[in-house]
Amino acid sequence: MTAGLTTISHRDRLRATIRNDRVRPWLLLAPTLAVVGVLFGGALVNAAIRSVRPVRGAGSTGLTLDAYRSLLADPELPRSLLLTLYLATTSTLVAVVVGISAALLLRRAAGRSRAVAAVFQLPLPIPHVVGALAVLALLGQSGLLSRVAGATGVIDEAASFPSLVFDPWAIGILVEYAWKEVPFIGIVALAILRSSRVRDHEAAARSLGAGTVQRLRHVSLPLVLPGVLAAAAIVFAFTFGAFEVPLLLGRSFPEALPVLAYRRHVDVDLASGPEALALSLLMALVAFACVAVAMVLTRRRVRVG
Amino acid sequence: MRHELRGTCAALVAVGLLLTACGSASPADDPSAGDSTVDGTEADDAGQADTATTPDPADWDAIVDVAEGATVNLHMWGGSTEINAFVDDFYAPRLADDHDITLNRVPLADTADAVSTVLSELDAGRTDDGAIDLIWINGENFATLDDADALLRGWAPSLPNAGLVDWDDPAIAFDAGRPVDGAESPWGSAQFQFVYDEARTDPAELPRSYAELADYIVANPGRVTYPSPPAFHGTRFIKQWFYELSGGPDPWLDGFDEDAYEDASAELWDVLDGLREDLWQGGETYPNDIADLDRLFANGEVDLTFTQLPAGIDAQIDAGVFPPTARPYVFDTGTIGDSHYLAIPANASSPEAAMVVANLALEPDLQVAKLDPANGWGDGIVIEPDRLAEDQRETLEQIEASLGDTAVDQQELAEATLPEVIGEYTNALDRDWDRYVRQQQPRG
Repeated sequence: MTAGLTTISHRDRLRATIRNDRVRPWLLLAPTLAVVGVLFGGALVNAAIRSVRPVRGAGSTGLTLDAYRSLLADPELPRSLLLTLYLATTSTLVAVVVGISAALLLRRAAGRSRAVAAVFQLPLPIPHVVGALAVLALLGQSGLLSRVAGATGVIDEAASFPSLVFDPWAIGILVEYAWKEVPFIGIVALAILRSSRVRDHEAAARSLGAGTVQRLRHVSLPLVLPGVLAAAAIVFAFTFGAFEVPLLLGRSFPEALPVLAYRRHVDVDLASGPEALALSLLMALVAFACVAVAMVLTRRRVRVG
Repeated sequence: MRHELRGTCAALVAVGLLLTACGSASPADDPSAGDSTVDGTEADDAGQADTATTPDPADWDAIVDVAEGATVNLHMWGGSTEINAFVDDFYAPRLADDHDITLNRVPLADTADAVSTVLSELDAGRTDDGAIDLIWINGENFATLDDADALLRGWAPSLPNAGLVDWDDPAIAFDAGRPVDGAESPWGSAQFQFVYDEARTDPAELPRSYAELADYIVANPGRVTYPSPPAFHGTRFIKQWFYELSGGPDPWLDGFDEDAYEDASAELWDVLDGLREDLWQGGETYPNDIADLDRLFANGEVDLTFTQLPAGIDAQIDAGVFPPTARPYVFDTGTIGDSHYLAIPANASSPEAAMVVANLALEPDLQVAKLDPANGWGDGIVIEPDRLAEDQRETLEQIEASLGDTAVDQQELAEATLPEVIGEYTNALDRDWDRYVRQQQPRG
């Protein structure tokens, strides 16, 4: 009897805990957090451990920071970091500005918008590798543009076509990222713009006499930006860590950080293995820090604005 | 806002706790492979068990018995559609029919990927049941796995078909100066050749040595480049240049001499420095690999590309990789020829079945089929013609005689063969190319 009562009261307490507003979200999030923690966090921790472990056959047994030391001594690292930051920042800015503009225009093309939006979204399911090869076939010195220019007499030979891939400003890489990421930001912005919340606010502003520019500045953009910024963080993190596009369209030196990490990963020198992992961790850290700083800064501004 | 921030912090703490949990769990179930001497008995026992279970092909029936029904994960460079198709069409069906073995060809962008897979597995304590059963390998990649003691040894000369191979031939018994020690079974042979387009370049104008190539580059700015080392063809390309400048391969065939290397290689970096601006893209960037260079060649951006196939480039012309007017040739100063092999990682899941595949690769009819460009590959044979049956030898001679002008004359090719240096020089050339050519670091 007593035992039964205790059980019930335990159960009640458990129920109460589950219903508690503070605990409940965490319980619901637990499966996701577990997956993220085990797969993502586990990989990071594994990488961290292997980056400080001596290489096979090196003779030593303790932990070592050799990989980090030789990585930081590499003169290519700062240039590679700058290049990678440049690629990620530029791609993200282009994607945000062009993506939001495109979404605003697409929303206006009311009748045909479904067909136009479908075309706009076309690049999304196409892999980056395919995009990179397409850019190569289009912008390379023996690519389509060069051939057209040659056939129309604009240039005399392929070599006089400007280098748009393998070029110092990484134009080929930026074009590929724009092609793929503009629709991504655009689709997020378009979804927000089409929501009844945005439309209601805009209608209210119009009825209060706000002009097109005023509505855009004070109503539409502030409502769109928070969602777009989250998507922009994804674009930044992706372009910072993506490997295939810089490998296919980038210059031999300096190489983007992910390419550098890959080269070390496949280097025949065993000591390069831990360096590849150290570099990957460094990349994760930098990307995380950049996104965090950008989030804090822009959130404050968006709120104030 | 404040509430949100607290939520974020709580989330971070939760993730942090999870990470800590993972962190403390990992080392426990992850016995360090590196410190067997200190860690004592457990690791040593594992090592012994490993050697004890190395299957011996001398008892071939037993091997075949165990191999039956197994799957062989063959990790091999997958950049050539023709080679991939040859393996799928000629090996896989026969393995399935004769031995019920499933051949799972895993294409790699670079053989080094397989090397790092094996080493990672062994590092993580996975001493059997590994992901790779057989690797197509040679040179530096073999040296790395050999150094790490990550391959099964001693099995190759005991394969039933190993008797067809001349194990006294240094081109077979040594892989880049390193004894293969029965850890590699030969599969084919290859030799570096240059490829030009007859329709664009007059054969009389072609460079026939690196000295002439330097003149050619100056006279035709932007028309020559090479894959960036350590990509295989790029390394070969600069190594042969190093040979020519240093008076031939002989000083570099055994015993690493750092000082001699430094002196001799300085001239190579000087020459490459002087030619930089006249290379494709002003020498500021290089193709990643031979596939990139082939594409530049096919598009008419550069005048030369390279091939490794002794039986010529018929297959690539058929596949549209090269124009029909592409022709291979070799320098009068020679080019590097060597063998490539199959090796079994120490932690292979099905070493017996892997041996059956390695043995099949030496079957006379398949060796000859591999040489025949009509079958897509055109790879050199590693078995001795005079150890073949009469009809097999006749087929071989017919194929050799039928190679047209898309192949270099086999006699000329054999006479132009230069040996491969030991791995230390290869690694030094790769390292210094990266510093002085790619990164353009000043030399001290």
